[in-house]
Amino acid sequence: MSLGRKMLQQVLRVSGRSAGPLLRGVDRWVDSLGSRQVEDSRVKTLKEMPGPSVLGFVWDLFAKRGLSRLHQLQLEGRKKYGSMWKASFGPILTVHVAEPELIEQVLRQEGQHPMRSDLSSWKDYRNFRGHGYGLLTAEGEEWQSVRSLLGKHMLRPKAVEAYDSTLNSVVTDLITKLGHRRQQHPDGVINDIAGEFYRFGLEGISSVLFESRIGCLDPIIPEETEQFIQSINTMFVMTLLTMAMPAWLHRLFPKPWQTFCQCWDYMFQFAKGHIDQRLKEEKEKLASGEEVQGRYLTYFLSRAGMPMKSVYSNVTELLLAGVDTISSTLSWSLYELSRHPEVQSSLRAEVLRVMGDRRVPTASDVASMPLMKAVVKEIHRLYPVIPGNARVITDRSIKVGGYLIPKNTLITLCHYATSRDPAQFSDPDSFVPQRWLNRDEGNHPYASVPFGVGKRSCIGRRIAELELYLALSRILIHFDVKPDPEGGVVNPMTRTLLVPEREINLQFIQR
Amino acid sequence: MSLSAAARRLAGWSVVLRSSSRTLPPLSRECVQRRDITSSSVVQPLRSENKVTVNFINRDGEKITVKASPGESLLDVVVDQELDFDGFGACEGTLACSTCHVIFKEEVYKQLGPISDEEMDMLDLAYGLTDTSRLGCQICLTKSLDGVTVRLPEAVADIRQSDGSA
Repeated sequence: MSLGRKMLQQVLRVSGRSAGPLLRGVDRWVDSLGSRQVEDSRVKTLKEMPGPSVLGFVWDLFAKRGLSRLHQLQLEGRKKYGSMWKASFGPILTVHVAEPELIEQVLRQEGQHPMRSDLSSWKDYRNFRGHGYGLLTAEGEEWQSVRSLLGKHMLRPKAVEAYDSTLNSVVTDLITKLGHRRQQHPDGVINDIAGEFYRFGLEGISSVLFESRIGCLDPIIPEETEQFIQSINTMFVMTLLTMAMPAWLHRLFPKPWQTFCQCWDYMFQFAKGHIDQRLKEEKEKLASGEEVQGRYLTYFLSRAGMPMKSVYSNVTELLLAGVDTISSTLSWSLYELSRHPEVQSSLRAEVLRVMGDRRVPTASDVASMPLMKAVVKEIHRLYPVIPGNARVITDRSIKVGGYLIPKNTLITLCHYATSRDPAQFSDPDSFVPQRWLNRDEGNHPYASVPFGVGKRSCIGRRIAELELYLALSRILIHFDVKPDPEGGVVNPMTRTLLVPEREINLQFIQR
Repeated sequence: MSLSAAARRLAGWSVVLRSSSRTLPPLSRECVQRRDITSSSVVQPLRSENKVTVNFINRDGEKITVKASPGESLLDVVVDQELDFDGFGACEGTLACSTCHVIFKEEVYKQLGPISDEEMDMLDLAYGLTDTSRLGCQICLTKSLDGVTVRLPEAVADIRQSDGSA
């Protein structure tokens, strides 16, 4: 296949974005030749699939810090077993899929109501406490109705554009906060930049959910905000641990499950407090004859006639989904831009060119910033917030890569492995945003799908992208960002999500 | 796919590239007032002379002709007229999938106006991509599209019927 690809490149001297689809076309053409051979051979069963022994994998997970290295285990698994392998994650047998073509095959067969996982500690907790499900945990018709309602307000381009002024006011507070933080250090270094961006993420998603501000970026941080963020972090650590632990281990060590529940309790309580407060204000306004023009998501949910229990659980899940995702992506973006000053100055030049005399970008400004989009795509490729996603197909067995996967099998999609695959991206561990401008790499389109694909893909995608573009533009207008003179390389680690392994410290120089 | 088809696709994409990088459309390009699926009965029917004719060629190669109103997206038309195209429009026009992928004749494709980066990224993930592919949810009917022919890709949007090796 690679020979064919190289020959074509030489013959056609292809360049520009157009090359990608062409080379993929060739890939599919060559693949279809290959698949004819597969068709001839019989379909293999799970029994024939390679993979580590149960004990070996448990050893990797618990003794060799495997839980925080799950993304690395994807690379090791592919090296050892090829593009598909099976492994027992605690009590759950899961099939790993680590080639873009195969990920595409799974996603094209996900059916009408795609399911991420039918066994999950998140669902267990909700059942345990009698809470409702939110978009992350609901399935079937229940999920579809909320998805349709929120999709309209969160994903449609016109709807997303309407959030730019709300988000810009949060970005203004972030810039002030960063300016204040840098003055507290003799060299303008801000330690643990992710911490600041957690608060920014929470303030941002709150402003979209409640159309009011909760003070995360105030000089004195509200205590409940810190506790909420801490609960998210701990909950994510406990998610993997509680899922990997077999039942007998839970009986011996009840602490992880208890901690997990306490974190969720706090998060639900936090969301409920804010929802009740917001709806109370609304009621009072209505009673005094004021006109209420809600444009925020909690309003849409509460007006759709769904039970309050579901409003609480949906808002809780949307809140937590907007924090780590924004924080990690922004932290990694500035980390890489600080280490690549030439990219940083090109990006700043692009921002200033589009903005002219203005200093606050709008949604339509960022639409004209191709390098900005390329930088964010490259950050997502290098540090996909969701390093591994999952699917369960409940109504039928499916064929993937020559194997028959029985229904109800948990399929792990190894996005980290495909987005760092040298066969897909040249120099895959380096930050090269230009690759997204030229598109001459001919990577498979499913090699980097940071938000997922299809109707169960990230519902916050467009709001998150807008938030990132608006924040990065303003940060670059106001600051030169440099590496901490005493800092070093920071690697990612898995905490259900992919996050920086240790603090990212950066020097901010006022422009 | 044959090499000539791949080369044709290349030519088509370079057209797309030029038009998109020059005009840089803003994030929002949506059809006028997309109706809610649930409240479609509220909308008043327009007089028939204001309607345009759309010919769909379905996945089996059969032609289906319908009348629709300018301003509606092709996805709206499929939903409102209850056309039975397997898997079409899974994400309900939210630019999260590419199941409403449709193919135009070249001369029509050129009239359709610029393509946003968001649509382009989603199209990349489409099955059976051609050099005149677009997403139906992003194409709004206008008077000038009266009589247009819109083809769905021959292969089904998902590959459950095939051997799973697409």
